[in-house]
Amino acid sequence: MSEQKETDDGRVLLVPCSGIGKAFGSVGREAAYVVVEELRPEETGTVCLARLTLPDDEESRRLVGEHKTIAIDGCPKACARISIEQAGGTPSATFRVFDVFRAHKELRAQGVSDIGDNGRELARILAEEIAAKVDELLGKQSEEK
Amino acid sequence: MVDLPKKKVGLISCSGEDLPEGTVSRMAVLQVLERLRPEDTVTLCLPLFLAGEERERAFARFYPTIVVDGCDMRCAARATEKYSARPAASLVISDLIAQDGLPQPQSTRQLDPAGEEVAQVVAQKLAREVDRLLGTVRPTLIDLGDQAPGGEGEPEAGAAGLKVEGEPDAVTTATCSCGSGIPVAQISINGRRVQVLALPAILEQFRELGKQVSEVTAGELMETVKLYNQVPDEEAAEWREAVLREYALHTVAAEPTSTAS
Repeated sequence: MSEQKETDDGRVLLVPCSGIGKAFGSVGREAAYVVVEELRPEETGTVCLARLTLPDDEESRRLVGEHKTIAIDGCPKACARISIEQAGGTPSATFRVFDVFRAHKELRAQGVSDIGDNGRELARILAEEIAAKVDELLGKQSEEK
Repeated sequence: MVDLPKKKVGLISCSGEDLPEGTVSRMAVLQVLERLRPEDTVTLCLPLFLAGEERERAFARFYPTIVVDGCDMRCAARATEKYSARPAASLVISDLIAQDGLPQPQSTRQLDPAGEEVAQVVAQKLAREVDRLLGTVRPTLIDLGDQAPGGEGEPEAGAAGLKVEGEPDAVTTATCSCGSGIPVAQISINGRRVQVLALPAILEQFRELGKQVSEVTAGELMETVKLYNQVPDEEAAEWREAVLREYALHTVAAEPTSTAS
């Protein structure tokens, strides 16, 4: 994601947890990329979650303060949501990978470094839900799939 | 028998979603966790330093920790030092690419060929640093015929065409320390509260061994406590007294409650 894309007004920022210890973190990360790169490339961007953990980073505080944000969390620790809040923002929506998995238990991700076909399918389902939320936040009708 | 936590090396990755080097850092760390040094390494999601509990913030105080950052913002190194402890070592992918003339990765979503190459180099560097921190001597390499990437110098364990005896072939799962956490307890030393890593597990192990509350036990307790904590020489006596006091309380608390007749 380029800096220009990050700072364009009107984009919704997606913040996945990217948890490195759990496959659900990788699924959340993949879902964010599906939205940002494929489903809503003009309407969304992302910001490094690691940057939001810095207490003295004015740029990250500005980003989450000026943009609508969506947190995508892989586990109940809710790092993405909490990090947005700690940086001074309020997530416009929060998604939990587990909630999608609960509705699609046949789609168990393979692992952290490679989520496999099931994990990618789970990520795409989540991505479509996120894209619909992006449309809602921007006051648009969801695009035809 | 309570098992005391094994000394491992902690790996913290920035995992930066917004730049290819963040993906490289993530995949390189996962390669070490899952394939190269699965028995010797453990990880924690970086934002847990902020969003987690004290047990998670104890991570870098307990494990000698290597942080891997994608760019010179050095978010992982800075957050680790601020919330937990100064890392034992750190590495910045963008600096490494520039210094070693490595190809520039372009993809954030998944590793492209350039990203694969850089991730491989980083993973090998991390594995060597893990060995150095643990004082591990690795077995001899078996040359399978292909040249290891990276040009001159010592061939690297696990590199293409090389195999290390005893190295696991199967992919294992990365060991995440979240939730399981590091057992910590607070004791009072000279009127201030001090966090002692692994103390709950140590006390329980001694209780299970039937150790009496005594001066001999106090010495043995401190030998174990020092494996996981830095005890200042000038406070050694106070630590010894406080740890023995905690042990006495622990043994009393663990005694079965008598039933009133």
